[in-house]
Amino acid sequence: MSQFFPFPATLNLANLVEEFFQQLTNGLAVGGIYALIALGYTMVYGVLKLINFAHGDLFTYGAYLGLTLLTSLALTDRLGFALGVLVLALMVMGLVAVLGAILERAAYRPLRQSPRLSAVVSALGASIFLQNTLMLIYGARFQVYPENILPATTLNIFGLYLPLMRVLIVLASVLMMVALYLFIQKTKIGTAIRAAAIDQDAARLMGIDVNRVIMLVFLVGPALGGVAGLMVGLYYGQINFTMGWVYGMKAFTAAILGGIGNIPGAMVGGLLLGVIEALGAAYISIAWKDAIAFCVLILILIVRPTGLLGERVADKV
Amino acid sequence: MKQKLLALAAAVSLIAGVTVQAADTVKIGLMAPLTGSWASEGQGMKKIVELLAEQQNAKGGVLGKQIEVITEDDGGDPRTASLAAQRLTTKGVAAVVGTYGSSVTEASQAIYDEAKIPQIANGSTAIRLTEKGFKHFFRTAPRDDEQGRMAAQTIGKLGFKKVAILHDSTSYAKGLADESNALLKKKGTEVVFFDALTPGERDYTTILTKLKGANPDVVLFTGYFPEAGLLLRQKKDMNWKVPFIGGDATNNADLVKIAGKEAAEGYYFLSPPQPQDLDTADAKAFLDGYQKKYNELPPSIWAVLAGDGFKVMVAGIAGAKSTDSGKIADYLHKDFKGYSGLSGAISFDAKGDREGEVYRVYKVDGEGKFVLQKL
Repeated sequence: MSQFFPFPATLNLANLVEEFFQQLTNGLAVGGIYALIALGYTMVYGVLKLINFAHGDLFTYGAYLGLTLLTSLALTDRLGFALGVLVLALMVMGLVAVLGAILERAAYRPLRQSPRLSAVVSALGASIFLQNTLMLIYGARFQVYPENILPATTLNIFGLYLPLMRVLIVLASVLMMVALYLFIQKTKIGTAIRAAAIDQDAARLMGIDVNRVIMLVFLVGPALGGVAGLMVGLYYGQINFTMGWVYGMKAFTAAILGGIGNIPGAMVGGLLLGVIEALGAAYISIAWKDAIAFCVLILILIVRPTGLLGERVADKV
Repeated sequence: MKQKLLALAAAVSLIAGVTVQAADTVKIGLMAPLTGSWASEGQGMKKIVELLAEQQNAKGGVLGKQIEVITEDDGGDPRTASLAAQRLTTKGVAAVVGTYGSSVTEASQAIYDEAKIPQIANGSTAIRLTEKGFKHFFRTAPRDDEQGRMAAQTIGKLGFKKVAILHDSTSYAKGLADESNALLKKKGTEVVFFDALTPGERDYTTILTKLKGANPDVVLFTGYFPEAGLLLRQKKDMNWKVPFIGGDATNNADLVKIAGKEAAEGYYFLSPPQPQDLDTADAKAFLDGYQKKYNELPPSIWAVLAGDGFKVMVAGIAGAKSTDSGKIADYLHKDFKGYSGLSGAISFDAKGDREGEVYRVYKVDGEGKFVLQKL
């Protein structure tokens, strides 16, 4: 924190307010991605009490699959931007969901009855396997999405710089989170997932096929992680095979911040983490932004050990 | 026992044979990574030095004798390098050219110094190599802190008054940022921002927003190309037109790929020149010869600097009128001034570091090409 330049002398109050809101929107855009990935962690944890360390890598697979499909099928050329990206997103979600299901069958189901530590080790192993497979297929260099796929429209609201794409990313994230929330809360399958989260044996006695429920969780979570990877690739352009590590850690933090196992908690945690990072970088120090974010996490966990929304056990998923 | 004696006798006669031969030619050793991950550099070094030796021999060699180049593979690995150095010291070389990696050079320094063989490294930029007091060690590569001087100087020449400095907390980038910061402040340039980003992230808009608030004339980014590319891309999305200057870690074609041509246009960076941008008559003739013989361009400037190392050693032997290591080293330290090498003027200070500028300024044009700037 040696060099700290709070406010240049030329700034007046209006500029300060503008900069604050600018940083707030920057944080929300990053936080939306964190939240989408955090959902995958939190759903798996809710049902299996397992931290799926390979989730960050499924996110990376989303980004790479998106790149391959985009360049090989030329969807945006054929269908136009909006429809093309929508079809692309659905394809990526489907493929990453299948990958998640395979992961569950291969790495987690055989260890369902083992001590929890075995499953965590298996998760770490799966993460290393997935990451290196990607490196062997695509190479270790950075991959770049083609230019000018997205419209470069920038909205100007009260002097704030808001690229249309950032707004769309946040909107899409929120939309998917709300859809997931309604799916879990209002549908019969959602009820089954919640039942399995509370007590697997009791759920089985009630005639719920717990294996199918778990498989479903491993379809939905990775699908959301995969589409988050696609959005990162589309918007930021540059992807590489280790990107899932940083995003995965941040999303995991977000899930804990909001209360792991809790779906609205993951949303709130993700958005909050993004905003804390942005404001910490803006007003304290850029180099310390991760440290600031983790300090806030520790403080929140001291006051509320189960996370911000972590106490509503009955709603756990 | 008898067999051992025989082997010993054979070895003695071999060594004797070598010394007898040494009278006929002047031997110059080349230690290069011919295998391993830097093999392309090492192969280039070998091709360049062999070509230059051929040309020199056509002109009559040195001290009236033909030059013989003896090449050893260091594998780009410190352990292999110390073995290679030991082999070269037993072969009666007058001087050694090489090598590429700093840690690899470091492993061989003491061996050559003990054998009193002058060594001239071509790709090793780590500061510590010339801070150990080895009398026989030289290098044609610039030192890592040379770049900071060049950065401060370039910012001055381009007329920027308010500078923002951004690094990425790696020891290389932070060192360059600290060095530039100190030099800029000494020159009275205002440094309005100094901070670090976290490499490996995707979204740097928070940092750019803060940078913009500091209102600099120019941003000096000392990190690597992946982050530089993202910064340029997101800067363009923000519609912020401030120029960026980077260090030689951004000299990578992927920079333009990541940023996109439009966003990369106008980006300055410092780097030793690309081989094809070497502009002295000597260098042009050399590049022509190289292309004629091998039908390609040298892999990098570092390989060309091995050629410069060879030329320096030949000039040193000629100037000292001897292959005696002490005399060569003395000559290079004291009387060797204003020599024109392939990469520009070469002379050495008391530590064996190269004096004079090696770094050039490049700018990315609208086609995404790196264009040498004349400042």
